Amino acid sequence: MANQRALPQSKESLLQNYNKRLKDDIRSILDNLTEIIKTAKVEDETQVSRATQAEQDHYEMHVRAANIVRAGESLMKLVSDLKQFLILNDFPSVNEAISLQNQQLRSLQEECDKKLTSLRDEIAIDLYELEEEYYSSSYGQWDSTDLPLCEAYWRWDSWASPDGGATSGSAQGVEEDTDGPASQDTTPKHYLNGHGTTAAADKP
Amino acid sequence: MANDRLRALEEVENQIATILQYAGNVVLELSKDKHNASFLDRQLSQVTGSVNRVATELSSQIRYLTQVATGQPHEGSTYSARKDCQMALNRAEYTRVKLGELGRTCEVMLDPQL
Repeated sequence: MANQRALPQSKESLLQNYNKRLKDDIRSILDNLTEIIKTAKVEDETQVSRATQAEQDHYEMHVRAANIVRAGESLMKLVSDLKQFLILNDFPSVNEAISLQNQQLRSLQEECDKKLTSLRDEIAIDLYELEEEYYSSSYGQWDSTDLPLCEAYWRWDSWASPDGGATSGSAQGVEEDTDGPASQDTTPKHYLNGHGTTAAADKP
Repeated sequence: MANDRLRALEEVENQIATILQYAGNVVLELSKDKHNASFLDRQLSQVTGSVNRVATELSSQIRYLTQVATGQPHEGSTYSARKDCQMALNRAEYTRVKLGELGRTCEVMLDPQL
C-alpha cells in the first residue's frame, strides 16, 4: 500500500474551511430548531392518520434534535481547532510570551548573580579579617621554610612563568606578612628568595 | 493578549453548551400539553442571542487569524535565557553546598566530638 501523506493545507484554505464550518453549524442549529417548533404545531387536516402523522413528527423531531446536537459538537470541535491554530500561529502573542519569559528569566538570573556577588564580597571581607587575625596570632608564626599560603602561591606562580618570573624576597615577604596578609595586588617580584627587583635585573 | 483570546474561546464553548441547554428547554416545553408561552419566548430569545454572540465571536477570531497568520512555524525560543538562568541557579546551589561544607568543617573544628 502506497504511503499517503496528507499535504498541509494552506493558511487561507484552512481559515476558509473554518468560516464554512461556522456558517454551516450555526445555520444547522437555527434551521433545525425552527423546524422542530413548526412540527410541534398540531394540524387538524393531515394526509395520513393522526397516529401516523404523530409517529412521523416524533421521528422528525428526533432527527432534528440529533442534528442540533451534532452541530453543537461540530462547533466545539471548531473552537478547539481555532484554539490550536491561535496558539501556533498568533505570532504577536507568541512573541510577547517569549519576551516576557525571557525578561523574567533574565531578571531571575541577575538577581541570583547579584546576591552571589554580594555574598562573595561579604565573605572576602570576613576572610580578610580572619587572615589578619590568624597571621597576627601565635598560630600564624612560621619559620623561613614555612611559607604562608599566598606567598607559596606567588612562588609557584613565578616558577611556573617562562621568564623565571619576577623575583620576590622571602625576607621581604616575612616583613610584609607579619604586618598582615599579603595583598594579592602586590606584584610577585618583591617576594621570592629574598631578592628584589635588582636580582631580576642581574639575571641574564 | 493570547490568554484573553483563549479565554474568549473558552467562553464561546460555554455559550455553545448553553445554546444546547436552552434548545432542550424549548423542546421540553413544547412536549407539554399546556405550553408556557412567555417561558418559550424567553428561551428562544436566549437561544438566538447566544447563537448570534457565538457567531460574532468566532467570526472575529477567524478574521484576526486571517490577518496575523503567516503559515510559517514560529522559531522563537527562550532557550538562551533559560540556560543562563539555570546556570545561575546551579552557581547558587554550588555556593550553598560549599558553604554547607565549610560550616560543617567549622563545627567539627570547634567541637571534635561531632
